[in-house]
Formats: sequence, structure tokens, C-alpha cells
Amino acid sequence: MKELLVRLTGIYGPSGREEAVRQAIRQEIEGFVDEITEDVMGNLIAVKKSSNPDAKKVMLAAHMDQIGLIVTNIDENGFLRFSNVGGVSPFNVLHRRVVFQNGVTGAVSYETELDDMKKLKLDKMYIDIGARSREEAGKHVQIGDAAVYHAPMAQSGDRYFGCAMDDRAGCAVLVETIRSVKESPNELIFVFTVQEEVGLRGAKTSAYTINPDIGISVDVTLTGDTPKSRPMAVNLGDGPAVKVKDASVICHPKVKDLMIQRAEEAGIPYQLEVLEYGGTDSGAIHLSREGVPSGVISIPCRYVHSAHEMVDRNDLENAVKLLTCILEKEIV
Amino acid sequence: MKDFLAELIEIPGGSGYEEQAAELIAKEFSRLCDQVHTDSFYNVYGIKRGSVSLESGERPKVMLAAHMDEIALMVKDIDEKGFLRFTSIGGVDQRILLAQEVTVHGREKLYGIVSTVPPHLQDAGEAQKVIKMKDMCIDVGLPPDRVKKLVRVGDLITFRSPLATMQGSMVNGKSIDDRASVVMLAEVMRELDRLQYAAEVYCVATVQEEVGTRGAVISTYKVQPDIGIAIDVTHGETPDAPKEDTYAMDKGIAICKGPNMHPGLTEKLIETAREYGIEYQISVAPGPTGTDARSMQISRSGVPTILLELPLRYMHTTVETLNLDHIKSGARLLALFIASLKEGWQEWLKY
Repeated sequence: MKELLVRLTGIYGPSGREEAVRQAIRQEIEGFVDEITEDVMGNLIAVKKSSNPDAKKVMLAAHMDQIGLIVTNIDENGFLRFSNVGGVSPFNVLHRRVVFQNGVTGAVSYETELDDMKKLKLDKMYIDIGARSREEAGKHVQIGDAAVYHAPMAQSGDRYFGCAMDDRAGCAVLVETIRSVKESPNELIFVFTVQEEVGLRGAKTSAYTINPDIGISVDVTLTGDTPKSRPMAVNLGDGPAVKVKDASVICHPKVKDLMIQRAEEAGIPYQLEVLEYGGTDSGAIHLSREGVPSGVISIPCRYVHSAHEMVDRNDLENAVKLLTCILEKEIV
Repeated sequence: MKDFLAELIEIPGGSGYEEQAAELIAKEFSRLCDQVHTDSFYNVYGIKRGSVSLESGERPKVMLAAHMDEIALMVKDIDEKGFLRFTSIGGVDQRILLAQEVTVHGREKLYGIVSTVPPHLQDAGEAQKVIKMKDMCIDVGLPPDRVKKLVRVGDLITFRSPLATMQGSMVNGKSIDDRASVVMLAEVMRELDRLQYAAEVYCVATVQEEVGTRGAVISTYKVQPDIGIAIDVTHGETPDAPKEDTYAMDKGIAICKGPNMHPGLTEKLIETAREYGIEYQISVAPGPTGTDARSMQISRSGVPTILLELPLRYMHTTVETLNLDHIKSGARLLALFIASLKEGWQEWLKY
């Protein structure tokens, strides 16, 4: 798991530019599935067929994309102005190192004459790639290029932290689940989605194509276990979370109850998650066509959308176990 | 009609948890229409086919939508003393929550109240402050170990407020938004039985409207109607509410105008009301409405949609107040409108 996570979190892939992530995941799952395709949006779709003639179609989704900064203007002194791709907080990106697709790195800073840090907004900020002029900057970066955090994964005991755990941790869990599931009475369609961070857009189109009976997405969720954090009954390391609701989806009670039942049967630790803000791919999947009963397995994660998103190894491993238990048996 | 409303509003049905409400609605619909179907999200479809045949052979497929879900609360955490922390499902006004009676749907149904600090114990000026939902808790009157056995994070909490009869034809209670309109669907079916009509009518009691018209998204996709009609509530006038956004409680149902609604069909609806002397008001929505009409209009290739609204006082409280006469007159208007879809009805859909 660790090596996979190091590899996946180190790859460049802001929303809309997921090609390197897609390539890496394809390599990881080749030989473990019956069929791999890519669609026009860039979703990577891997199918594990079933010998059961009444197999239900189960769509599993984890998103490949990460948040990023997109260059909107290059000033005469070579500083890059930028906008956000997905949910970027000025405080999270301030004085971070960022990297472009071609490997060019820069530092994010702000107009220091700003009198009140509460007023810090992205339009008062810029990326400094060390260029001395617009011409010099233009040799390395074009308007429309996007940068992501440059923060290689680190480890402290069971805790891993780095950028893009949201949602490469989910991708890693799905990859390991693909390797772990033996025989299933269900047809399993694993979708590594694009553009989740800009509105669940890859999940929307892939769910339409697949037209599944059940949808399950795997994504990170917030925790309530850090000093004076917003209260939330999810702790890092207490097990994968079975989502009840977030702002994008109220998980289907039957899918949620099935997840709980499988966790309890197998003695896998789990938590129940009520997330008051934010959404995930199941938000799009469950409203596809005539409706797809959907649920979510969440990976508790501290500091989501920062350069140091922190997850716990045990939660990841238990998420793989739980998903495997769910998929190897009849679904609802 | 009043009995059905009274029975229906007492059933818990926070968005996403409508199974029980769907059961009752399906039972009522099955008495009134040709076919009833409930989908995996608990949208209930009551289907009626008119006996008039059109020469062209193309019956208009009309979908009526009224949502059965209600605003509710959900357990977010349980503290060490057994008090429940909670969040909201749908737009709950935190000012009305203190001392409210609720049902916690745990492993058993538990009676609970939203706890509040008595005036005697408040600091000076505290009564002037709005207490936020995140600082409130629910007391179910049990010791912490019992609470932890019976209640879990994610359990639904609904309000307790049965139907009360006021003066005249006014009633109040919880979740009259939008179950009054579900009752109206049943009344439309009854009215249709008195008429000759050609349409195939899908009366759909939808789910999850309060969290983003989600039931309407999937049910409209499924039905694929020629004409969409949403029924919801709008604000009834009170002395303290802005005049331009509220409607009389005794002047008929409101017909909504704006870009979300098809102008031709809206005009036909108004003509029908005039022709039969049914009182109505005009409401205005400058953009996509906060009703099922929002999603119905943009389903698949687009659906010409109209919207009727029942004036309702004290929306999203436990004393939502409604004039029952509006259900009757609104249902009659809708049935007459549906019956007026005859040969050449397709012309009505043109701009």
C-alpha cells in the first residue's frame, strides 16, 4: 500500500489533466481485470466480469484528479497570476511550492502591502517561478497551464501525509481492492474518474455510460479529532467511514445498511460519517438516468485540500477489506 | 382529504428516508388510479389513462410532481452525557428549534426535545442572541449508556407536530410543505374521474426535494413527459413579511410566472381558471425556482413545465399554516386543465 500511495500521490494530475495518473493506474491493474477502457472524458474504466447470469452491475468510483492553480496572466516581471481549479484556500497555498506538468516549480506568495491577512484572496497572490521577465517566464509556462502542490509523501508511524491523498488514497484503495477480490456474484466496474474537484463531472458521464444497479465511491472525508476542529464524529485511524450523507448525496439506506452489516460480520472497524459540507462522486452517480442507489466508503483524512493531507494506513487497509467483503457477496 | 393530510404529515420522511411515507401514498393512490409504481428511491408514480382517444393517436403524457419529503434533523454526534448533537436535512431555521419536540429514529423511536437554557440562568443580553444549531443538543431523557445503545451517528430526527385545525378552513402542522400538494395529487385524480380526458397522467410523489429536487431529476427522466406540472408551496402573507414575496391566504392557488415556466402553457392554465371561475393569484420567480419544476424543465431534451403554488404561512416550521380550500380549488383547476388538452395539444407547447 505504501509504495502504491507514494507513487500515486507523486503524479501530476489537476482536474482535466489526469493523463499521467491514468497511465500509472492502468499499469497497476493490468492483468487483474477482464477489460480496460478509457472514455472521451479521460475516465479509466476497468471491468471484472462475473459468471453469474443475474449479476448486478456495481460501479465503483475514485477520482484521479487533484486541486490545482491555473495560470491566468503573466506580468511583465515574470510573476504568474492564477485562479483555482477546485476548492483552493488562499491560506493553504500561501508559501507552498508548486509544480507544473513540465516539472517547472514555483513558490506561491502574495502582495505584502495587504494590511489584513483575513482579506487574503487568490487575486492578491502569485506564483514566482524565478523568472526575470514575461519573456523568460513564457519559455517555461503558458497561460492555461496548471500547477499542483509539490509535496512528496512522508510517513510518521502509521500516518502518511502528502498532497493529493484526496483522492489518490481512494484510487490506491480501489487498486488494492481490484487485486484482492477473487470471485464476485456481481459485475464490478471500477471507474477512476476525472474532474471530481470541479463538480463530479467524470462520474456523471461514466455513470450514464455504465448505467449501473448500484454505485459506490471511495473518497476522503474530514475528521473532528484535531485541536478545536469543527465537531465531527470521525477520527483518523478508527476505521473507514460509511457515509450517511454529505452535501451531494444522502446515501441510500439499503446500501448504507449493507456496508454496516458487512463490516460487522467481518469484524472490520468502521465509523459512521455525517459530513455537513462537500460532496463526492456518488452525488452524480445516484442521480444518473432513473436513479442509482449509492453509497460511499470514506477514508478519514486531516487537512483536506492542503499540501499535507494525512491518512492512516489502518483505515486504508480496512477500507480494502470492507470493500472486498461487500463485493464478494450478493448486493442488496 | 383532511384525514389523509393528517395521517400523512405524521409520518416521518426526512429527505432520503421516505419509505414509510411512500407506502401510505402508494396505498392511497392505488384506490384512485390505474397503476401505481414505487421506484428504488421511493418516488411513487400513480398513473391514470384518459378514455378519450385522439385522432392523431398521440396522447399527451402529463407528469404532476409534489414532494413527499420533509425537512428534518440528523444525529451528528453523541456526547459523554448522552445528549445528541445534530445537523439539518434541508433548510431548517435554527431560531425555531429551541424546546422543539422531536422523534429520534434510533434502534427504537425515542421522544426527545431540543434542550434550552432557562431564562433564569441566562447571562444579561443572552436572550437577544440567536443560538446556533451547532451549539444545541437533543435530550432523550436516558442515561448515556442507554443512549449509545439505541442511537447512532446518522440516525434521522423528525419533528412532532400533528395537524391542528384552526378557524375556518385553516390548518397547521409540520411538513404541510409539501404533503398538502401530495394530497392535492389525490384530489386531482378524483376530479379527473368526473371528466373526459385524453391525457396519460403520471401523478408523482417525489423524494429529496428539500436537498436539491433530486427525486424530480430521476423521476422526470423515467417518465419522460410531454408536459411537467410541479405543485409546491409559496409564502402566505403575514404582517411582518415583505408584501411583494407573499400571497393571500384566501384568494386561490398561485400560478407562477418566470423563465422556469412555459409561457404558453401558463397562459392556458390561466385561461382555464378564468373560464371556470376558479380564483387564482400570480406569483413570480425571476430564475430557476426552488421546486421540482427546476429539474423537470431541463430533463433529457427539455420539458415544458408549469408551477402551481399553495400559499403557506410559517414555511419550514412545525406550524406551517394552510387554507384547505386551496387544495380543492387547485385540484379542480389542474384536472380541468388536463381535460382541456385535446386534438392539437402539441400547438400549446410552441413558443
